Amino acid sequence: MDSLDLIVNIAAATLRLGTPLILAAMAGLLSLQVGQVNIGLEGLMLAGAFTVVAVGFATQSVLVGLLAAIVVGMLLAAVFTLVVTRLKANLIIAGLALNLLVSGGTAYLLSVLFGTSGTFSPPDLESLPSLYIPGLSDLPVLGRLLFSFSPLVYMSWLAVPLVAIFLYRTVPGLHIRAIGQNEEAARSVGIPVRARQYLALMLGGALCGLAGAHLAVGDLALFREDMTAGRGFIALAAVYFAAGRPGFSALACLLFGLFEAVQFRLQLASSTPPQFFQMLPYLMVVVTLALISARKEWRKGWS
Amino acid sequence: MKSLAPIIRTVLTILLALLVGGIIMQLSGKDALNAYGVLLNSAFGNPRAIANTLLTATPLIFTGLATLIAFRAGIFNVGVEGSLYVGAFAAAWVGFTFTGLPALPLIGLCFSAGALVGGLWGLIPGYLKARLRVDEIVTTIMLNYVAILFTDYLVTGPFFVPGMANAMSAQVAEQAQLPRLVERSQLNASFILALVSVIVVAWLLRRTTLGYEVKTIGSNPLFARWMGMPVARTILLVMFISGLLGGLAGAGQVLGVHYRFVSGFSRGLGFDGIVVALLGRNSPLGALLAALFLGALRNGSSTMEMFTQIPRDLIDIVIALVIFFVAVEISFGWLKRRTIAAATPEAEQKGQADGLA
Repeated sequence: MDSLDLIVNIAAATLRLGTPLILAAMAGLLSLQVGQVNIGLEGLMLAGAFTVVAVGFATQSVLVGLLAAIVVGMLLAAVFTLVVTRLKANLIIAGLALNLLVSGGTAYLLSVLFGTSGTFSPPDLESLPSLYIPGLSDLPVLGRLLFSFSPLVYMSWLAVPLVAIFLYRTVPGLHIRAIGQNEEAARSVGIPVRARQYLALMLGGALCGLAGAHLAVGDLALFREDMTAGRGFIALAAVYFAAGRPGFSALACLLFGLFEAVQFRLQLASSTPPQFFQMLPYLMVVVTLALISARKEWRKGWS
Repeated sequence: MKSLAPIIRTVLTILLALLVGGIIMQLSGKDALNAYGVLLNSAFGNPRAIANTLLTATPLIFTGLATLIAFRAGIFNVGVEGSLYVGAFAAAWVGFTFTGLPALPLIGLCFSAGALVGGLWGLIPGYLKARLRVDEIVTTIMLNYVAILFTDYLVTGPFFVPGMANAMSAQVAEQAQLPRLVERSQLNASFILALVSVIVVAWLLRRTTLGYEVKTIGSNPLFARWMGMPVARTILLVMFISGLLGGLAGAGQVLGVHYRFVSGFSRGLGFDGIVVALLGRNSPLGALLAALFLGALRNGSSTMEMFTQIPRDLIDIVIALVIFFVAVEISFGWLKRRTIAAATPEAEQKGQADGLA
C-alpha cells in the first residue's frame, strides 16, 4: 500500500507540475507554427503569476485575478507581436527584452505597490479551489489522480486538443501554419498575415497568463520574484523535443513534470544529485535536435 | 562623419529609455530627477564610485566581446552565460587545487583553464551548428541551463565544502587572488585584461584573415562558401573564441571578486553581453562604451535603491526598454536601406501585376 501511495503521489505531482508547462508549451507551439518563436514565454508567464496575485488581492477574488492574468498575457503578447512584426525587431532579442522587462517590472511593482520584495503572499488570498465531485473525488486511487486538482489542471488538458483542432482543423489555424511555412507565399494567396500573427501570439499570451496563474494560485497563493524559474524555456524545450506536435509536446511536458516531481522526492531520499533531473529536459532537447539533424544530413549524403 | 550617426541614434534611444523610466518613477510617486541624480553621482561622483562602475563593467566587456564576435559571423550565440559558468568553475578549481604554485603562473593557469573550458563549452553548439546545422539559438539557451545546473552540482556534490551556507567552492589560493587597482573598491586586474581583450578582438576582426572570413560569412554565407572559405571551420573557431571570452569573464569574477566559485553567481552577465553587443553596434570599441554605460547603471542603481527607496529593478526596466528601442531602431535602419535597394524591381513587379489586372 505504501508504494502505491508513493506512485499515486508522484503521479499527482507530475500532473500538477506539468500543467504550467503544458499551457506554456501550447503557447510556444502556436508561436513556432506561425514562424515567430517566442523566447518571451517565461516573461509572459511571470506577468500572469504577478497579475493573478495582485489583482486577486485587490479585488478579493481569484477569479477576477485569473481573468486579469489572461488579459495581461494577451496585451503583452500584442506588444511583442507589434515589435517583432511591424517594427521588425529581432525575435530573440525582443523575447529576451520582454523577459527582462517583466522580471524587472514585477519586482518593481511588488516593491512600489505592496512594499515588499522577494515573496508576496497576501494572507486573505485563497488559492484556486480544487475540484470536488462527491463520490468520484472520494474514490481510492482514481479520485486523487483524476478528480482532485485545481481547475487549471483540467484546462491544460483541454487546451491540448483545442490547440490541435484549431491548428489542423480550422481556417485560421491552417493560415497560421501556412504563414509559418512560408510567410511570403501565404501573403501572396491573400492570407491576412499580420492578423493571424497577432491571433497566434495573443492566444499564446492568454495561455501563458494561465500558466503563470497556475504557478501562483494553483496550489498556494503567492508570488515570488522570478518564480517561473526557467519553466518557459522548459516548455519551449518540450515543443522542440516533440517537433511542434501538440499531443507529443504535452506528453513531453508531463515527462518533464515527472522529472521535477521525482527530483523533489529524491532530494530527501537518495544521493542521486537533483541537478541531474533538472538538467534532463535541456539535455534531451540538445540531443534530439542533434539526432534529427544528423539523420537529415546523413540522408542528404545518400541522395 | 558617417560613423557619428549611429552614436547619436544610440544616445537618443538611451535617453528615450531613461525618459520612460523617469515617467514610471513619477507615476509611482517617486522623484525621478533626484533618483537619476543619485544614480549619476553614485556611478561617477567620486574616484571610488568610478572604480565600482569599472568593476561592474569588467565582466560585461568580456561577455559583450564574446557575443559580438559571434554576431559578426552571423551566429546568434546566446550561450555566453554557460561558458562563463563552466569557465569560472575551471578557474576556481585550478585556483584551489594547485595552491603550491607562485602567483603569476597560478593566475595564468587559472585564466587559461577558464578560457579553455569556456571555449570548449562554446564548441558544443558550435560543432552542432557547423557540422549538423542545428539552430544555435535553441542549443545555446538550453546549454546555459545545463552549465548552471552542472556547476551547481559540482559545488554541492564532489566539491562540496562543509559548513558553507550557500553552494560555493573552496577559496582559491591567496596568491591567485587578483591585485586590486584602487583602495576601497574591488576593482581588480581583470579590468585591464578586459581592455586588452577589446584591443585583441578589434585587431582580430580588422587585421586578420579570420576577421575577413567572419565578416564575409556574417554578411553573405553563400558567397563565403562559393569563395571556398572554410565556413564550418570558421564557425567552430568563432564559437571557441566566443566561449573563451565568456570563460575569461567567469575567471575574472572568480579571481578578482568572489575568490571562489559561487553557484548561480552570474545572474545574467552573459545576457547583459547581448545588450552590450547590441548597444555597441557589434564593434569592440562600441561594446566597451556600452559595457561602461551598463556598468554605471547597474552600479549606480544599488546606491540609488539605498538612498531613494526606489527599487533597483527599475534599471532592469530601463535596460529592457533600451534593448527594445535599439532592436527596433536597427531594424529600421536596415529596412530603409533594403527598401531603397529593392525599389526598382518592386515597382516593376507592381507594374506587371497592374498590367495583368
